[in-house]
Amino acid sequence: MKRRDFMKTSVLAALATAASSGFNLAMAQGNGIFTLAYPTSFPDLDPATSFSNDGAVLANAYEGLTRYISATETEPSRIEPLLAQSWEVSEDGLTWTFKLREGVTFHDGEALTAAAVKGSIERTRQIGGGASFIWSPVVSIEAPDAMTVVFVLSEPQPLDLIASAGFAAWIQSPASLSQDNAWFNAGNDAGTGPFRIVRYEPGQRLVMERVEGYWGNVPEGAFQTVAFEIVEDVTLIQNMLESGQADWGYSVPFENLDLMKENPDLKVVVNPSFETLFGLYNTKRAPLDNPKVRLALSMAFPYDDVIMAGTAGLGTRAKGVVPTGIWGHDADAPIPPTDLEAAAAILAEEGVSGLELVMTYSTTQEISALAGELWKANLETLGVTLTLQPMAWEAQWQMAKSDPASAQDIFVMYWWPTYVTPHDYLLSLFRSEDEPLFNLGYYSNPKFDEVLDEAARLSGVDRPKAEEMFIEAQRIVVEDAAAVFMLDRPNVHIIRSDIKGYTDNPAYGHVTFVGDMSR
Amino acid sequence: MRRVIYRLGWPGTIALLCVMGFICMALFAPWLAPYPAQGAGAPNVVAKLSPPSADYWFGTDHLGRDVLSRVIYATRISLSNGILIVGFSLLIGLPIGLAAGYFGGWVDEALMRVTDVFLAFPALLLAVLMAAAMGPGFLNSVIAVAVTWWPWYARLARAEGMVLRGQPYVEAARLAGVSHPRIILRHILPATGRPLTVQAALDVGPALLTAAALSFLGLGVLPPDADWGQMVDAGRKFFPARWWYSVAPGLTIFLVALSFSVLGDALRDRTKGPSRASA
Repeated sequence: MKRRDFMKTSVLAALATAASSGFNLAMAQGNGIFTLAYPTSFPDLDPATSFSNDGAVLANAYEGLTRYISATETEPSRIEPLLAQSWEVSEDGLTWTFKLREGVTFHDGEALTAAAVKGSIERTRQIGGGASFIWSPVVSIEAPDAMTVVFVLSEPQPLDLIASAGFAAWIQSPASLSQDNAWFNAGNDAGTGPFRIVRYEPGQRLVMERVEGYWGNVPEGAFQTVAFEIVEDVTLIQNMLESGQADWGYSVPFENLDLMKENPDLKVVVNPSFETLFGLYNTKRAPLDNPKVRLALSMAFPYDDVIMAGTAGLGTRAKGVVPTGIWGHDADAPIPPTDLEAAAAILAEEGVSGLELVMTYSTTQEISALAGELWKANLETLGVTLTLQPMAWEAQWQMAKSDPASAQDIFVMYWWPTYVTPHDYLLSLFRSEDEPLFNLGYYSNPKFDEVLDEAARLSGVDRPKAEEMFIEAQRIVVEDAAAVFMLDRPNVHIIRSDIKGYTDNPAYGHVTFVGDMSR
Repeated sequence: MRRVIYRLGWPGTIALLCVMGFICMALFAPWLAPYPAQGAGAPNVVAKLSPPSADYWFGTDHLGRDVLSRVIYATRISLSNGILIVGFSLLIGLPIGLAAGYFGGWVDEALMRVTDVFLAFPALLLAVLMAAAMGPGFLNSVIAVAVTWWPWYARLARAEGMVLRGQPYVEAARLAGVSHPRIILRHILPATGRPLTVQAALDVGPALLTAAALSFLGLGVLPPDADWGQMVDAGRKFFPARWWYSVAPGLTIFLVALSFSVLGDALRDRTKGPSRASA
């Protein structure tokens, strides 16, 4: 009896495997199907609380009021109307009025109204999870008529940018407002986007179908189905792309890209990302409290070698902490070059010798490890001993948040913004904090704080002036050598060459807007 | 030499030579490695990921360092890892096991139940937990593995202790008023030497493998030091196209673990008879 059961189970298992691989095959071969090999799973599909890779799915099912289009070589960045058709801001920057788009319906058939927008943002704020903090300057949301939403803020903030965020800014149908987190994570959605979720197997795959009567542009030959295959093994992702089982993927090691570039079936798309890697110097401890010593250490950093060895030459030299593509990026920042002789001279002049430093970084960050190794080799020639200390992120962060006197000397991490603003980088990393949170170099400069606050105040009302002041603030940090600005990480995605209409938008990390694409 | 072959047999002799070879490699790494500076960690990015060639016999790694030199330098860490783990385990396990076996009764119960607690955990899991808690580093990884390793020696030592405490010469010593610690140290410990040596030789291979596994998971030595497990891990993501990076350290692990295991087997075969006869 038992043995029969066992045989039955194994036959069933075999059938299931066969069926699922048949399913894969069908998906890969169908013309109307776009398959993404996605290296991570989707931990939270609730539009109010999602704050992770789920954006890849949600951005196809939901829409926000606006969308950020990053700067390219030819065009400056801009904010595009999405569910909002137009908007205006009062002179004091405190009242924002959005006019909604006509004729938009949610997947459940209800029409988009001002009440739905108000309800969505209020639900997000009320739950208070994920990135809901982006709405913190909002005092009240009013809906004077069915197509108008008015936001009143407590301080001037760029609400059009905030509304374009890839997290916590999705608009959901009124009927779904009372649903709980579990309902969304069971694979239900309530957005206005071009696709709806039809099938969800957590950790395995997620399938979306095109929605009839989508308000926006539907290109000729548009995809009918989007399939996310969750594949954690990067080598397997590479295989799937090469064999045509997947149309889009990322996280393939940089060193393997050359081989993929030679493949005529594949296109390797390289873009700047909004992720920048840097090391914050512990400015509270001698001799790192001396800006000249920090400058000397930064001059010993092998910028070009790290970009070459760590990113196969695809990364770019970081010009401060605000990366390319974001407004407020300072293309002419006076960043120090690699110059070991000058660095040695400065250290000698400051009377520093036999320096021993500890650099912490997260165990999962391979580029940090590589940067550390190369930096260490250069520092050794200056008589500086750098100890590399990889740690679990939580431990690394905890140690840095405790006592600056006993914490690390150099804290290495990546940073990227929740919504696209230079304020996010500069405020979190360098503005004086009584209790360190992310200013983990404990940098404190009243002049910088003042310029930054003024820039932030202006960013809602006079963006060109604000941009100037953000750049001015960042120059202070660069001149103080508060951090070593290692590199701006490239975003590399691989896509089958027969796909049309693909653009990568670094404002939405690893998100593919399949609605605009076709084969 | 002939005597060694007679005693260990051909496989055992070859294994012994291999082990001695690797120990020499560890001792004389700076002289044996073609690029000693790169072996110690100096980067050489211009040559990164070059395939095997006359200049770089095993190719180069992601920082352009000669893989052969890296493997030779890693021998120092990996071998001492294996040997230290076994050493630490003996240091903890032997006294506990002998005390339990010799005294018996509640001492035995208490000590062995503690030992059982440690045995109840899967070895690698416990080691990973320990290493994650203490942070990566050479000594930490040795301690982490040793903590999971000593119970086996405690078991073995206890069994020997139980057999030996009933021996007439031990009873005679006890009747003569010799103190317990002295009996354990002078009369019991020497007799347990042989089986434990065999076990230790057999264990260096697996201990080294476990340490390599920890390194592979990112819990081993800190860069720029390398051990074999860490090298296999670093080379893994380049694997299909740049096979040499992982294959060279991988084969080395295989060879060393095999040598220790064959050597241990040969030693056991040799000592089985006489050891029991004397006991």
